[in-house]
Amino acid sequence: MRPDFGSLTEHVVEFSRRLRARGVLCGPAETADALRALRAVNVLDREAFRLALRTTLPHRREDLGVFDALFVAYWQTGLAQRSEGQEDRPEPQAVAEAASLGTPSLRRWAEEATEGEQELPGYSPVEVLSRKDFSSFREDELDVIARLVVAIARRIATRWSRRRRRARRSHLLDMRRTLRLHLRWGGEFPGLAFQRRKVRKHRVVLLCDVSGSMDVYSRFLIQFVYALQDALGRVESFVFSTSLTRVTEELRTRSLRAALDRLSQRVPNWSGGTKIGSSLRQFLDRYGGLLDRHTVVLIVSDGWDTGEVEVLRRAMQEIRSRAARVIWLNPLLGSPGYQPLTRGMQAALPYVHVFASAHNADSLRELERVLARGRVGRPRR
Amino acid sequence: MSRPTLGDVEQILAALAQEGYIADREIATAIYLSVELHKPLLVEGAAGVGKTEIAKVMARALDTDLIRLQCYEGLDVNTALYEWNYQKQMLRIRLEEGSGRTPEEKEQTIFSEPFLLRRPLLQAITHPRAPVLLVDEIDRVDEEFEAFLLELLSDWQITIPEIGTIRAQHVPYVVLTSNRTRELSDALRRRCLYLWIDYPSFEKELAIVLRKVPGISRQLAEQIAAFLHAVRALDLQKVPGVAETLDWSAALLRLHRDHLDREAVERTLGCLFKHHEDQRVARGPWLDRVLAVIADAQRDGQSLQAALDRLERLARG
Repeated sequence: MRPDFGSLTEHVVEFSRRLRARGVLCGPAETADALRALRAVNVLDREAFRLALRTTLPHRREDLGVFDALFVAYWQTGLAQRSEGQEDRPEPQAVAEAASLGTPSLRRWAEEATEGEQELPGYSPVEVLSRKDFSSFREDELDVIARLVVAIARRIATRWSRRRRRARRSHLLDMRRTLRLHLRWGGEFPGLAFQRRKVRKHRVVLLCDVSGSMDVYSRFLIQFVYALQDALGRVESFVFSTSLTRVTEELRTRSLRAALDRLSQRVPNWSGGTKIGSSLRQFLDRYGGLLDRHTVVLIVSDGWDTGEVEVLRRAMQEIRSRAARVIWLNPLLGSPGYQPLTRGMQAALPYVHVFASAHNADSLRELERVLARGRVGRPRR
Repeated sequence: MSRPTLGDVEQILAALAQEGYIADREIATAIYLSVELHKPLLVEGAAGVGKTEIAKVMARALDTDLIRLQCYEGLDVNTALYEWNYQKQMLRIRLEEGSGRTPEEKEQTIFSEPFLLRRPLLQAITHPRAPVLLVDEIDRVDEEFEAFLLELLSDWQITIPEIGTIRAQHVPYVVLTSNRTRELSDALRRRCLYLWIDYPSFEKELAIVLRKVPGISRQLAEQIAAFLHAVRALDLQKVPGVAETLDWSAALLRLHRDHLDREAVERTLGCLFKHHEDQRVARGPWLDRVLAVIADAQRDGQSLQAALDRLERLARG
């Protein structure tokens, strides 16, 4: 029996669309690859067929589970019933033709690409507990904070690049240019050409606790997040209480007011309890790829963890081992009588490079001074 | 143009086995399609599951050269692509002193191909026949370099200011490996076929040990594979890979052990567990229970699956 490639192509296209609808990174290019791959294997062998699709369609480990589940649902259980109702299937085409990018079904998909995106489930806050009102902000306070935060951000986020540029004097020779100079001066020794390393920016990952125990400060801290992101560009921001939410996009708008409004709508569980450990774990599992040895992790929290301390400790250990620098800002540190004795804070402390207070503009000023004293970036060589 | 092919998936499996690499159909299919579709293969998985081996075996099976670019933090174009041979250039300048050639002529001479040091990427592009290019641990380089590599993987050309553009004669077969210490860009992922290699199953690990550790008894090999199955269910800092399994097997053999007991495991703990904390976990009462389950299973000839399930449950306390 010769496989019916006409309907097979249709089905592969449909299957790819469904993968995409479930968030798998997979478009017409992948589908075209899959069809080319099917030409190269024996499609009557179910396992060969499955592996050909599995190698070409998904691109990340997280997507393999989605693929496996959908494969069973689509090709093993779903196909029998589905094909019954399809009387007007496209004509069976030659194998080569079917696998080319120009098949009508593929083109149709490309045209409907935007519509396909809308199939993705929108965000729906499950844990709508309480929402914050951001209306009571003092404008002059904002100015001071913004300026300080920019200064702090600069301290935190610069490092040396491996790219180089010309320099008048430095400890790095520019051999290429030295030799050229040498030639130009007819073999006489004209001196040396130098280069220096460019300054590059660290990525900053900001994890901000917005739970009930931080209630008073949350508003202020979101300011901090916002200003930092505005100043650096390469900031990934997250807020957490009992669970973690990525808010980088929300904070990307130019208008502060709009950003705050959207944020309060978007973030569930604002001012609920705190599960720092499991929130950090969630961060590592879902966004751990953001961490590398050029990343500064900034955690803003009072360390009141209602979850398992061991979970927090292990998460902190992992963050420390993967990031360039871990800075913990504690808004309670400035208040008289507070000592970092909460169990969570104690578990986290050994993994923190800089532990500082962030309860008002003065404390931020102090942080800026601390950072000025020591280079924050990982010392190179 | 005729390209070398690897036959079909079954033939690759056979070729891999011949090269001493125990693979499953998933791995063989990925290698096969990477060659057939001529697309780079991105291989991800924990350390020590045999990612790098894939490129080596692929080169041998295609009977071509393997060119390896080991990535590390701070890898730059001078190390990955090309560098001028300054010593040679300086010698040439000395030799040409008094030759009466103009500086421009001299400059042209010393910035030409004979004075170029070819680093892996340039080597791969200028190779007389399509080689296998292994870009190892791509997750270690920064985004900048990743972007550069992506460009290279699509255009297959390199521009050297002094010489001009060098275009690839034969597009290399590319294998990229990643330990997932950093998330790779979607663009790079989408350029590649994808293969995830998990820790081996009991059967696969047993086959690997029997194949790679000459002189080991089947009984000990089974115990080792079962023990590793139990170990990987633990919550460890560093989960041992296949490389560790092989080291450990060799160590046990050296100590003339034909079965696992507490003393043997304790003496060789360092082969498997590379963190102090992990060693502490392994030394605990968990060890006795695991050894008991393995011994029972082997003595009574129990169903294998039941024993493996019990071993996994042990890890959860």
